[in-house]
Amino acid sequence: MSEHLVTWLKATTLSEMIIGSRWVWPLCETLHFVGLALLLGTAGLFDLRLMGFLRGVPIAAVMRMRIWAAVGVLINLVTGTIFFIGAPGQYVGNRAWWAKLTFLLIAMLNVAVFETRHGKALLTLPPEADTPLSYKIAGVVSLGSWLAVLYFGRMLPFLGDAF
Amino acid sequence: MMELLASLENSAFSEWLRSSPSLLAYPAVLTLHTLGLGILVGTCWLLDLRILGFAPAIPLSALTRSFRVMWLGFWVNTVSGVLLFATEATGKGATMLFLGKLCLIAIGVATIPLIRTAVYGDGTMGASITPRARRLAVLSLGIWVAAIAAGRLMAYI
Repeated sequence: MSEHLVTWLKATTLSEMIIGSRWVWPLCETLHFVGLALLLGTAGLFDLRLMGFLRGVPIAAVMRMRIWAAVGVLINLVTGTIFFIGAPGQYVGNRAWWAKLTFLLIAMLNVAVFETRHGKALLTLPPEADTPLSYKIAGVVSLGSWLAVLYFGRMLPFLGDAF
Repeated sequence: MMELLASLENSAFSEWLRSSPSLLAYPAVLTLHTLGLGILVGTCWLLDLRILGFAPAIPLSALTRSFRVMWLGFWVNTVSGVLLFATEATGKGATMLFLGKLCLIAIGVATIPLIRTAVYGDGTMGASITPRARRLAVLSLGIWVAAIAAGRLMAYI
């Protein structure tokens, strides 16, 4: 199954364009790291406040910054997909890639579940207030899984054979 | 100069860092370098975006704490960067790309205390967003994109 996908993808014009160009890969790498920094800075702030740090900062105010975390995720999903289309073979058999994808899924599910359950209540939390345990857990899961995504991304060439 | 770089590259420590199969050698240092980048640049951008008018309800007084986080990221990357450099000093040391990257980082890092002064003054008065702070925030946003690009190009060009 995965072999067919790799063979088919490699034969597409898009895949050949990505790999054949001298600039597409480094450009996407740059954007991928820009997205990483954007996400880590803004989601990190939100997660720390969820954990109960940074008292005095209203959660409702921090939530406004989350749009930039979403921009970072979007940039990285697009550039990540480009990497995959360009060189699918180095990812499908790579256990670091599967670990990265698993933690990405955990991070996204965590946001979705937290948003549906606490999205409204979040806005009324007073600036100086400590956060309930459920918020703290969501903050730890979020920051922990984003750091795991970063770690396994970096391990792609070491646990597997990606360049 | 080249002899100095060669002796750095050929030291027993560099040799170990470069060729040890342990995930605690080169891969760990590279991961720290990426993490430090995220911490330093992410925190700089967070403050830049706040200065440029996003999430205005975040109190500026609370963001004085962000400077410590920036310096933490900076030192993680200075140490991990020196270690990475030691593994291929002769190959990287003389390239314009690497020197360019260092210049961009120097400008980015120099911007941090300038932004601090522009927003917080000497700390005795309240914080305010001045036109100068806005210009510095735009500079900071752009210079870090350029520094990241230079770093990534080093790996792929």
